Amino acid sequence: MTTLKQFHWFWAWDDDKEEAWLRKMAQKGWHFKLVKLPGYYSFEQGEPRNDFYRLDFFIDSKAKADYVQLFLDAGWEYLGEMGSWQYFRKTALENETLEIYSDNESKSKKYQRILFFLVVFLPIYINSINILNKRQDTLSLILTFVMFAFMLLYGYSIIRLGMRVNQLKKKL
Amino acid sequence: MPHKIEKYLPLTESTAYTLLALSEPLHGYGVMQKVEAMSQGTVKIGPGTLYGAFTTLESEGLIVKVGESDRRKTYALTDKGKAVIKEHIRRAVIMVENGTMTQGW
Repeated sequence: MTTLKQFHWFWAWDDDKEEAWLRKMAQKGWHFKLVKLPGYYSFEQGEPRNDFYRLDFFIDSKAKADYVQLFLDAGWEYLGEMGSWQYFRKTALENETLEIYSDNESKSKKYQRILFFLVVFLPIYINSINILNKRQDTLSLILTFVMFAFMLLYGYSIIRLGMRVNQLKKKL
Repeated sequence: MPHKIEKYLPLTESTAYTLLALSEPLHGYGVMQKVEAMSQGTVKIGPGTLYGAFTTLESEGLIVKVGESDRRKTYALTDKGKAVIKEHIRRAVIMVENGTMTQGW
């Protein structure tokens, strides 16, 4: 069987673009097989299919089996996870759009969970920058710079996710 | 009023239907099927939405787990949950009465 390996990166606030990309691949006959951090995909060649891919963010490992079961009952195939990203797939009828979040209110909570996940670790980063700042050697200086760059990206992510939440909540 | 129910209102359409469906104990997929049937196909609840609703409703004490088998939890309404959906419906009825005029449009 022909397989295709491809690297594809996505930002948490743009995960719907990743879903659209996976759908497009399936329409061309490349079907998701596997994903590994930080975005290495394997595809299997087959007949083109009208599949919807949906990504969810889920961190509660104890409740994972119950969570997945609900999706299976609803006819979704569970494809696996990359970090805390859960991959689901379902074949649609013509002109049908399949969603795992049926309203924007609940969909916005997905991004709120990611935000929460980021904010929880914020004090750890700030602390390590503070500790590194007090030292004078070259290595600490380089590490401080790396951490600082990381913090900027971190702050940007928080802003973008916040915007995504607002965008979903605003509709009438 | 025995429960402070104001803060939960208004409910989203999905949440209101989920509570109505849980007038009898059901597991997740049971709720999805019942809601689609009850709403005559106008409301379909996705599994992501329903999982989130179950988690929130349970932590707020509006529903309670009454059983579990094969990784499927069964939930039912609590008294607080009943009070919330009752008030939501009371308000919805007022709105429907106000909305009868739209039938002549």
